[in-house]
Amino acid sequence: AATIRTRKFMTNRLLCRKQMIVDVLHPGKATIPKTEVREKLAKMYKTTPDVIFCFGFRTKFGGGKTSGFGLIYDSLDFAKKFEPKYRLQRHGLVEIKKTGRKQRKERKNRQKKVRGTKKAKVGAGKK
Amino acid sequence: DHLLKKATENEYNTSKGISFLELKYQLLLSYLMNLTYISLQKSQGSSIQDDPAIDRLIEIRTVLEKMRPIDKKLKYQVDKVVRTAASGGTDSSDPLRYRANPENLISKLDDESESESEGEEKKSKIYHPPKLTAMHYEGDETEMDKDQKVLERAKKRALSTSMLRELREEFSEGPTEIRETTSTQRSRAERKLRERTHYEEENFMRFSVSKKDKNEMKRVAGLSSLNNLTHFDDISALTEGRAPQAGGSSKKRKHGGKGKKGKKGFKKKRIH
Repeated sequence: AATIRTRKFMTNRLLCRKQMIVDVLHPGKATIPKTEVREKLAKMYKTTPDVIFCFGFRTKFGGGKTSGFGLIYDSLDFAKKFEPKYRLQRHGLVEIKKTGRKQRKERKNRQKKVRGTKKAKVGAGKK
Repeated sequence: DHLLKKATENEYNTSKGISFLELKYQLLLSYLMNLTYISLQKSQGSSIQDDPAIDRLIEIRTVLEKMRPIDKKLKYQVDKVVRTAASGGTDSSDPLRYRANPENLISKLDDESESESEGEEKKSKIYHPPKLTAMHYEGDETEMDKDQKVLERAKKRALSTSMLRELREEFSEGPTEIRETTSTQRSRAERKLRERTHYEEENFMRFSVSKKDKNEMKRVAGLSSLNNLTHFDDISALTEGRAPQAGGSSKKRKHGGKGKKGKKGFKKKRIH
């Protein structure tokens, strides 16, 4: 029963995309997940949902209305070029390797004990 | 008469002067000529309707009007030139030369820093704060004056409280004005929120709301506004003639009251 309306539509030729503010009306339901929003936008703008990136959805106080931002790229190549890595990761197009926080901190502390070029060796060694 | 002889004998040569002034002379002259022609016509009794002289007059008048601000801007230069002509030549080291000398400025700054570094060692160890702006002087104010001022201010503030405003409305004879109540707190918060959302939508990003802002939004939107109903302002300045004590007490009570109410409410829920 969710309705999607778009506002402030703009064609950004420099970044080869169309950007807009997306208003989702969902009275009586929880916030719609981003994947569903993408499907609906794809139907509206007659593209595939994989070039659509939406983010920043905030539900208004009291529920029923959510607004967020949506970008529709001209092609997936442009999307891969211009989108930030974390958003590509959400779609599964890029894998960001993450060493754990604890590992990073321990490596830093090991590096503190050594001076100069040996620092790099210490990190790789990981006793 | 004398002037006329001089003018005809070409004693007033303006070819070497400022061309702007030359133009002005010529315009004024032609304006005068046209004007005398028109007055001659009128005195003779012939009509001046559709006379080309009038068009010429209007044209010259508009040009003169447009020249007036330029004249004002050139005034400084013209005065300079007149002064040099009168005094008969300038000295190369004349302090009032046509242009500002930036070298003078730089050397001044150097001198200042040098003198400062020297002076520091010579002066005593007393700290003198730098004199940047003018500060209010209150050395000649006695304790009594200060108290009086505080009392006056408190009285003024008390006069504009909601209680006295309602009293005044009760006894005034003018028509009552019914206005929509806009609490300043709420309007401020609303304005801030509106600015924020506008920025967010323009720049396609979301702000992370700090704890302070979150609490303020909760406070404005929540039940705490009911506490303000029973909170009246202090008008002891008018009733007792003494300034109210440090106003922190009222603010503290507000926060304390809200906290207590919140706690009680929560506890009640738990029990039931």
